Amino acid sequence: MNFNDQYNRYPRGSSGRKLIKRPLETPGLQSNSNILQTHPNIGNPQYSQMYSENSFQNINKPYASNFTPNMKQNEYQPVSQQITGFNVSNQAHILTDPLVTNMAIQYGQALVGSGKQIVDKEIEKYVPLSRLKYYFAVDTSYVSRKLSVILFPFIHSDWSIKYDQNEPIQPKFEINAPDLYIPTMAFLTYVLLAGLILGMKNLFSPEKLSIEATNALGWTAIEVIIQLLMLYIANINTNLKTLDLIAYSSYKYVGIIIVMLVGLLMGHLGYIICLIYISVSLAFFLMRTLKLQILTEPVTTQPDVYGMPQQVSHQIGLKRRQYFLLFMACTQPILIWWFTWRIV
Amino acid sequence: MAITLWNLFETSILCLNAICILHEERFLAKIGWSATNVNPGFGEYPSVKSNILNLIRSIRTVMRIPLIFLNSITIIKKLLLG
Repeated sequence: MNFNDQYNRYPRGSSGRKLIKRPLETPGLQSNSNILQTHPNIGNPQYSQMYSENSFQNINKPYASNFTPNMKQNEYQPVSQQITGFNVSNQAHILTDPLVTNMAIQYGQALVGSGKQIVDKEIEKYVPLSRLKYYFAVDTSYVSRKLSVILFPFIHSDWSIKYDQNEPIQPKFEINAPDLYIPTMAFLTYVLLAGLILGMKNLFSPEKLSIEATNALGWTAIEVIIQLLMLYIANINTNLKTLDLIAYSSYKYVGIIIVMLVGLLMGHLGYIICLIYISVSLAFFLMRTLKLQILTEPVTTQPDVYGMPQQVSHQIGLKRRQYFLLFMACTQPILIWWFTWRIV
Repeated sequence: MAITLWNLFETSILCLNAICILHEERFLAKIGWSATNVNPGFGEYPSVKSNILNLIRSIRTVMRIPLIFLNSITIIKKLLLG
């Protein structure tokens, strides 16, 4: 019982109303001692939990929670003024209390974390960002081997991809896996090379670079959309994803670069010969790589009637799949010719 | 014939318009391409024709309202910029 202390701390003025707050040079000091006076349980560990729960309610409902602890100690003082004074000062001083600030920080961090998760999940539905990094996990030996396979596919013997079902394979470990690094670099090199060749003919201006880039991107987009449409309409189920299709369609930029260089150096005849060779090798490369992925249905291990896992890998709609493969392989030479005929 | 971004946009608008124009009752039902009466049994794969008709119907349902806005934008742009 420390009514005397409170009497001294809040001396009454001449009007009989109690002074709420004494003006001090360091208001922070007064706030701490105020809390210690009115909440003697603050140092007590078993009451700190109760106090922290109360403090949250303090922010929302200032009158309700402050009523009960204050009532017992303010019997000899005007109730309304005292409680108003305590509420204002308690709310302002709640946030300086280390217990409360720690909890507020943790709560805020948890909120930010969950918000970020929701945003990531929504983005993942439209653009598969988490799988994108697998396509760029390459190293120099993979790049050199893959380039040699694209340009001389007749030498390569083993075309199967060894990977587990759920995780995309990193191209570092498997040469037959599609990647997006080579297509991206080849596309950029093609745009720069086209600008160079245009400059050698005095036809260059900086807008031509962006026109070339948009043109190539547009054709790639059209090709991938047509392939996706064909896969859906003909009801061909494969393990191929959209990013895989983009990668396979963009491998022809490597061929285009070689054709343009040879055409630049060796004239019209060299250009024609190189065009035919690159078309054949690219078609061969695509057909061999995609044969295993398109011609057989993806392996599904659903348990059959007797509860034993069965492997379904029969070939459904073989004719449709072969036509699709042929279509994919034949559009490549046409597009290579379309891109490079300007230097003829 | 370079493909610019605007070209791509115009092409897609034209193609989607062409698909949305095909009226379900007045036209498609008369030539037997109605998408409602095809019902493949469970476990059988839907045929190519039913897939195409399903695609037409879904494009018509989804793109009706956005096509109104996209067509208006195209008309305004062509009026202003030729």
